Amino acid sequence: MKSKQYSVKVYETTITNEVAFMEFFDNNYTLFKDHLIVISGNLSSTIKVYLENKKLSYLHDVSLPKGRTRKALEKELQAEQTERAVLAQISQNEINRLSSQLENNLTVLDEMIRSGREVDIKGDLLLLNRVNSGATIKTTGNLIITKVVEGAIRCAGHFMMLTASPKANIVFHGVEVDNSLLEDRLNRVELKNNEIIITPVLKKEINWAL
Amino acid sequence: MGIVIAVISGKGGVGKTTATANIGLGIAFNDKKCVVVDFDIGQRNLDMVLGLENRVVYDIVQVMEGEANIKQALIKSKVNENLHFLAASQTKDKSVLESSKVEKLVAELKESFDFVILDAPAGIESGYEHTIEFADAAIIIVNPEVSSIRDADRAIGILDSKSAKVKAGEDVAKYLIINRIVADMVESGEMLKSDDILEILNIKLLGKVPEDKGVIDASNQGKPVILDKKSIAGQAYKRITGRLCGEKVDMKDIEISDKGLFKKLTGIFR
Repeated sequence: MKSKQYSVKVYETTITNEVAFMEFFDNNYTLFKDHLIVISGNLSSTIKVYLENKKLSYLHDVSLPKGRTRKALEKELQAEQTERAVLAQISQNEINRLSSQLENNLTVLDEMIRSGREVDIKGDLLLLNRVNSGATIKTTGNLIITKVVEGAIRCAGHFMMLTASPKANIVFHGVEVDNSLLEDRLNRVELKNNEIIITPVLKKEINWAL
Repeated sequence: MGIVIAVISGKGGVGKTTATANIGLGIAFNDKKCVVVDFDIGQRNLDMVLGLENRVVYDIVQVMEGEANIKQALIKSKVNENLHFLAASQTKDKSVLESSKVEKLVAELKESFDFVILDAPAGIESGYEHTIEFADAAIIIVNPEVSSIRDADRAIGILDSKSAKVKAGEDVAKYLIINRIVADMVESGEMLKSDDILEILNIKLLGKVPEDKGVIDASNQGKPVILDKKSIAGQAYKRITGRLCGEKVDMKDIEISDKGLFKKLTGIFR
């Protein structure tokens, strides 16, 4: 296949007055003779004949790839920036809100909690491992668990973040949390105005491993 | 100095005793001196599975109480002279076990054998704790079902807190055997996949043993299934004992049903 690429100047117009159109072209012939004329809307045979006589190349009713002007681009860029700033502000607010609820004694554990074990924590707990079926985690403060929970959870903090299997038994502030609401991904469970609110943190499962 | 391995499961009936008998015999066939000890005081049955029922004169309790010495109580296997057996007491119960006496016995056996294999009782009571207390390693037997896995998980938890080695700041090696796998059921999703089991228990996989009808008959006759060269479970135990003796044996994927050529062909047209 042999092909060449050209850059062409295009003059696009809609004809409302045929006489005015022809006059305009007569006057500006030198300017437009190398342009590609694109006519959108009606194209009468008079104009066709006129254009052919003048040896002008023309197209009728075609959609051309639209270039964006600098202004439009700038506008788009600005909108994007604003959106990003708003999103950052939202997540910053969220972080501020949650961290204001953190207690001061945080326990960090990285061990598998096997069946039969009961972990009882005064304060917040960050657990970087699984909770197996038959194990129990109790915290008076907030709770974050980064791997799957299959055991029992008793949390009385402001919030907890976890991924729970349908086997898990989760009680938040004395209320059993419906497992079907804890989809198979990281969820935030919190108490707002005496109501338990569950929000999936991210659409996809997070890989916490480094 | 040998290595002491406790065979545990938590749940009963998953194949601890069968596994102990087969592993013991497999190690003996690998030219290593091995003793299998029945720690299920009050409910001994390893003697039957090994076909040594009629040879038991002295048992483990009598040895620990000093009524007999260890040489008198050890029974040599009829099949392979590398394998020895120490029977549990059928008349006493596990409350007779004492840490110091267990320690002395285990140390004595360790002196003269390459492998000392302890068949733990089911459950997690004192009998179980005494079995694992002085073990260097543990083989955990599970079936691919949730109750067995939760019980094993519990047993591992106790092992990790009660073992003398752990108390001394060392690690107890833990190996998993998944017993009674039915490939068809794993494929159809009715049975747990070994990957899922490994994720829950988080220990090293020693081997997978397929379900095999021959195992029951082998136990009844006192001829462990590893002696049957055609048995698929027997072959699995052979691979497992090879690994225990330091050979490099590839993990065979028994979770894919091995259909014959004829079945494969008919499968296409179904």
